[in-house]
Amino acid sequence: MRFFVIKLIALLMFLTLGSINASEQGVSAQSSTHKEETYKTRPFSEMISGFLESTGINALVNPNPDELDSHGNKMSDFHKSWGRVIMILVTFLLFYLAIAKGFEPLLLLPIGFGGLLANIPIANMAGPDGFLGIIYHMGLSNQLFPILIFMGVGAMTDFGPLLSNPKTALLGGAAQFGIFGTLVGAVALAQYTPFFDFTLKQASAISIIGGADGPTSIFIATQLAPELLGAIAVASYSYMAMVPIIQPPIMKALTNDAERRIKMSTMRHVSRLEKLVFPIMVLTLAILVLPDATPLIGAFMFGNFLKESGVVDRLSDTMQNALINIVTIFLGLAVGSKLASDQFLVADTLAILALGIIAFSAGTAAGVIMAKIMNMFPGNKINPLIGSAGVSAVPMAARVSNKVGMEYDRNNMLLMHAMGPNVAGVIGSAVAAGVLISLFQ
Amino acid sequence: METNLVVEGFKFLVIGMGTVFLFLAFMIFMMGIMSNIVHKFFPEVQPKSVSSAQNTQDAQNNQKKIVAAITAAIKHHRES
Repeated sequence: MRFFVIKLIALLMFLTLGSINASEQGVSAQSSTHKEETYKTRPFSEMISGFLESTGINALVNPNPDELDSHGNKMSDFHKSWGRVIMILVTFLLFYLAIAKGFEPLLLLPIGFGGLLANIPIANMAGPDGFLGIIYHMGLSNQLFPILIFMGVGAMTDFGPLLSNPKTALLGGAAQFGIFGTLVGAVALAQYTPFFDFTLKQASAISIIGGADGPTSIFIATQLAPELLGAIAVASYSYMAMVPIIQPPIMKALTNDAERRIKMSTMRHVSRLEKLVFPIMVLTLAILVLPDATPLIGAFMFGNFLKESGVVDRLSDTMQNALINIVTIFLGLAVGSKLASDQFLVADTLAILALGIIAFSAGTAAGVIMAKIMNMFPGNKINPLIGSAGVSAVPMAARVSNKVGMEYDRNNMLLMHAMGPNVAGVIGSAVAAGVLISLFQ
Repeated sequence: METNLVVEGFKFLVIGMGTVFLFLAFMIFMMGIMSNIVHKFFPEVQPKSVSSAQNTQDAQNNQKKIVAAITAAIKHHRES
């Protein structure tokens, strides 16, 4: 089949090129005695014009009307010509953000470069036979890569702070309001404005950006709305990188000076056995309550269990470093392949970027407000600044809480306290993802 | 009748947030039980290292005291 298509394209090219001097030279080419099956001798002028036809400039200026996108659908001329140029510039912007501004370079660079490669005309790298397409089908369309990343994240996570102050887990739950609140916002956009037409599935995939968890976003997007994957992943990772810019104004607006100075009681010591039992316990709960969340939670807890077991340092070390690094490269390239102009340069992308930042802000606000609500009850007071760490961007969100806390009281170290809601946020967004998946079954 | 997506969205909101909180509340509850069991039946041998750290600190303090006493004695001896 593929061979046939290539032949067809070759034939088309041959016909169009030869139109100037087809009459006499076409005959001479056919009558050549030295004939091979795959190679036809052609006059030199024709070879040159043929080569010129196959240059990138020509492909951008005169888009090939028969070219199909990576899904085999027709593309508009704009997406084949200027769209590609714009997308390549967008990937340059991603490079700038990653290198000069330090925005999640580990992911934005592979994603950006994947996007750059995916927008090259003719080469069709994002197609099913191109190497980006192969990577995409190898591990992204079947959700393998996000799961592997989760394993590595699990092996890097220390549940000690959460275990020593369990109730801070509620903050991680509240921050998931960012997901579901945005879901309502996205469907409202679809319902009441004529510009956007999100289905419930697409709206859910967009709203998961509010979980501030890259792998979870990708996991959900590939399952519910693969056509929006590129925009969702880019929004998710860029906003995660922008946590130190997005969160502090919201945190300051929602708290007063006295609350920001609350000192939290020192943490109790957590025994090794507790840390070892915890992953199994959470997984058991997930099995009982929400089996749909177990791929994510299971991989996460597997990584954590190996780390806490203390007897397989080699494996946990591999997960934390080698494995997660390799998978990050593949994941980034595969996501980048979804930055093809026909999928990214659509009005929906703008809505996704806007909804994403709303989701982030809503999650942050919900976490802070939850901490204030919890302070109304008797018991140890919680500094509301750690509420914002309930969004799961680990450990960035916890660092932001610490930094804002230090601005008001230099001796108030909130980092470890904020790690509790932070890791609970990872569990929370995995649960939220499980709920979304189960609701669509 | 056309389905109202916003109403659907609110249903998702309630079910989703409900499940997340339920899960985490249950998790907190189980964490409490688990910690109690662990502390009751498998108390950590860890405190040893803490106390040994204290011991070394005590020892250092003691040594400092001894040094101080000796210097004081020498000073006293020289002055007298």
